[in-house]
Amino acid sequence: MILTIALKELRDTWRDGRFRIGGTLLVVLLIVSGVLAWQQNERTRAERDAATELDRRNWLEQGEKNSHSAGHYGLYAFKPTAPLAAFDRGVEPYVGSSVFLEAHRRNATSFLPAQDATNMRRFGELTASLSLQILVPLLIVLLAFGALAAERERGTLRQLLSLGVDPVQLVVGKFLGIALALALLLVPLIAVGAWLLSGTGEAGDPNLTRRILFLIGAYGLYLGTFLAIAVAVSARCRTGRGALALLLGLWAFNCVLAPRLATDLVEQWVPTPQLAEFDAAIAADLKKGIDGHDSRDVHLQKFTQETLAKHGKQNVMELPFNFNGLVMLESEKFSSEVYGHHYARMWDQLEAQDRATTLTGALAPMLALRTASMALSGTDLSQHRHFADASEQHRMEFMRVLNEDLMKNARPGDHGYRVGRTLWEQLPPFVLAPREWDAVWASVAAALGILGAWFAGSFLWLYMSARRMRLEVA
Amino acid sequence: MSLFQLELRLMFRERAVLALLALFVLSLGYGIANGLELAERQRKEADALIIESSQFNKQVRDALERQALDPRQAMGSGHLALLPPPGFAVLSGGQADLLPSHERIILWRTEDPSEGKIGLANPTQLLTGRFDLAFVLIWLFPLFLLALIYDLCAGDRESGTLRLALSRGIGAWKLLSVRVLARGTPMTALALGAVLFAALLGGEGLSLPVWIATGVVLAYGLFWCAVALLSNCFTRTAAAAATVAGAAWVIFVMVIPTLLNVVVESAHPMPSRAELVAKLREASGDAERRSNELINTFYKDHPELAPPGMQADMLQRRLAVQEEIGRAMDPIYKEFDTELADQQQVVERWRFASPAIAAYEALSDLAGTGYWRHRAFRDQVAAFKDAVFEFYSPKFHKRQPLVKADIPMLPSFAFREEESAAVQGRTLSAMAGILALALLCLAPCALRLSRGASGKLVS
Repeated sequence: MILTIALKELRDTWRDGRFRIGGTLLVVLLIVSGVLAWQQNERTRAERDAATELDRRNWLEQGEKNSHSAGHYGLYAFKPTAPLAAFDRGVEPYVGSSVFLEAHRRNATSFLPAQDATNMRRFGELTASLSLQILVPLLIVLLAFGALAAERERGTLRQLLSLGVDPVQLVVGKFLGIALALALLLVPLIAVGAWLLSGTGEAGDPNLTRRILFLIGAYGLYLGTFLAIAVAVSARCRTGRGALALLLGLWAFNCVLAPRLATDLVEQWVPTPQLAEFDAAIAADLKKGIDGHDSRDVHLQKFTQETLAKHGKQNVMELPFNFNGLVMLESEKFSSEVYGHHYARMWDQLEAQDRATTLTGALAPMLALRTASMALSGTDLSQHRHFADASEQHRMEFMRVLNEDLMKNARPGDHGYRVGRTLWEQLPPFVLAPREWDAVWASVAAALGILGAWFAGSFLWLYMSARRMRLEVA
Repeated sequence: MSLFQLELRLMFRERAVLALLALFVLSLGYGIANGLELAERQRKEADALIIESSQFNKQVRDALERQALDPRQAMGSGHLALLPPPGFAVLSGGQADLLPSHERIILWRTEDPSEGKIGLANPTQLLTGRFDLAFVLIWLFPLFLLALIYDLCAGDRESGTLRLALSRGIGAWKLLSVRVLARGTPMTALALGAVLFAALLGGEGLSLPVWIATGVVLAYGLFWCAVALLSNCFTRTAAAAATVAGAAWVIFVMVIPTLLNVVVESAHPMPSRAELVAKLREASGDAERRSNELINTFYKDHPELAPPGMQADMLQRRLAVQEEIGRAMDPIYKEFDTELADQQQVVERWRFASPAIAAYEALSDLAGTGYWRHRAFRDQVAAFKDAVFEFYSPKFHKRQPLVKADIPMLPSFAFREEESAAVQGRTLSAMAGILALALLCLAPCALRLSRGASGKLVS
């Protein structure tokens, strides 16, 4: 019986003008957005590769100089394209794509793509993820609002039920019919998209397939939830018009109102640190350690005395190594700890905001889906933190090698010490290792849990709505 | 009792309508409160910067009254170039959270491309956008409005009361137009009131930009009323009318703007920032390697600036190197500016593809948080950098200290607002364009309803 109802509903939906027009538009948008995103990704990747190569060449060909001066010359770390950025660009336009690594300072990533764009970005970006998050639920609303309410209005629902059709089977059949119609529309696109995306991903992310499968699962839960709610509302409303009004209201709340409201409220509860305070706190802490470039610095003087005492010498020129190199090493170690501490606090705060926003997905499932989608696509805040922290590790290692060279190889008091390409080549280019699956899972688990709860809840409600229909014939 | 009053009375009897109006008021209030908070934060940040900068400048002037100073001491942490917080910022956050509103100009770092900083921000919040008044007016206002007016006659047609109403001699056009006006008026009045209220609370007062903003919002509201009328004229059921109205909202507020964004960015792609930094380093490496040659050429070209004995120190070399970097990089920076300006031109040209774009651009423009004001700031900062360079560079090269006579010539930045006529021209044309679009939607309705079409409406 369920199959018969489902096939009939599928046939009706397939013939429905709304499905044909809406479906065609949706398919066109998904294809266009996919192709454009693909092109953009390839362009970004090519530009990034060219820049990485040029910067590496600049580094290698910087000429002979003091190894610590090379630390000031510094280098850039460029962020690799996220594994599935062609599907969901996430926060990529709103975070920097490169960071300058230099001695003594941890710099923030710079050049937000959104800064090089017009105000139009505020309307959102045409991506496959946006279409699936916003437009497919709208199509579901338009297809499902009349599934049962229209039958009720026409009087055919009463007839069906009085013939002994089980309301649960009827509702499940209607649900499956619309789901099949949508699947016929979307599954081929998803299959082609997943196949194309599985061939991408830099640095050979070993979790790419797993990411894609979980993405399909997350979107399946979300769209399934929406369809179950839509059919349940249709089962409960007296008129199709009432069902439509209610469903459009729910859609608008979920897709338009909730995202901004939630992020804004979260900002009130968990405020973003202020840049001036952040900079001031770092500057204050840095003053507590050695300033390698200020001979009057009290911490440096103390450190000098301690080092001389440790080696039983009277003068830094008598030490068996270049004292300036040691000072730079110590100063870099201290400043890196200060930066590490403050940046970790800032990231923790921002991630706490994102976690809180995800939890508001309990009220609007799109918020949970958005988190899951960005995390699985590798375009969320945590992925950006992963890049920022990895580039900082690279900077610290870089500076350690350069300062150790100065300490070990320059003669004490030798201000004319120079090294060249041999040392520069010893320092490897920056490569971002893929994020461990456990870390990705930590970002995504709560969101998937919420989506799962919505899915289960919506089906329970659908079942209860079907049971309630029995009363109509009684 | 007129038809208009009757419609109003009937509408206010519906609890759902009251709930919708209450929700809209809450949204407007929240948007205004958010805008006020943002404006206050911007004002405080600007005040702190101004106080710090003026205190430092005063110290420099006082010191110069007493003695000559090394120019480096007068430079401090850089000359402040500040974009003053706009008076009507409460209306729209625009790009204020993305673009730097101040920059410190330091003579020897004028070629550093990342000097302009924005505050710390959660990228997820930047992606989502703020819940400001512009969001309520552009995104939510039409949704709320359509929820009130999507069913102008279809429901009556289904219940048979439409036939009764038309049989009493009321023309179809009059019935529907009065009905749409009556049902749309309370929501539109609330939106307009919110703009005026926000202007008064935000300290802008009832200035001309505020009235233009109300005009834009009114035109935008009329457009959506026209869409509702259109959907009612050409559909048979309330559900179909709601479907058409909902689809129109998605197309005009979501699909067309995102498509335009794609067109804009594909037609005028920005050069690569990654390549920019790599090229900048290449240029700086090259200039540093040739620093001796550069400084010698500079002093040959400018013998009047050469220090005694032609022996350049580190800073003088650095200035010569920086000038060379500037020469190499200027065409690349210009390319960024040109592409962005071209993108904006395309947006301006195609903004009437969707009234949401035209209205949002106009509100951001009037709020002073749009492209043009930030563009003016960037241009003026570039000119100020040149002024700083021209003032200090000869002093550094000739190793001349700053003296009392230099006080009036010390560079200082004062932002010059764009000509108000230009802003008014853009925003008034936006308003006129949206009104024209509304009329375009009304024309087929008038045609359908005027040709003795009462029968068509009922059947």
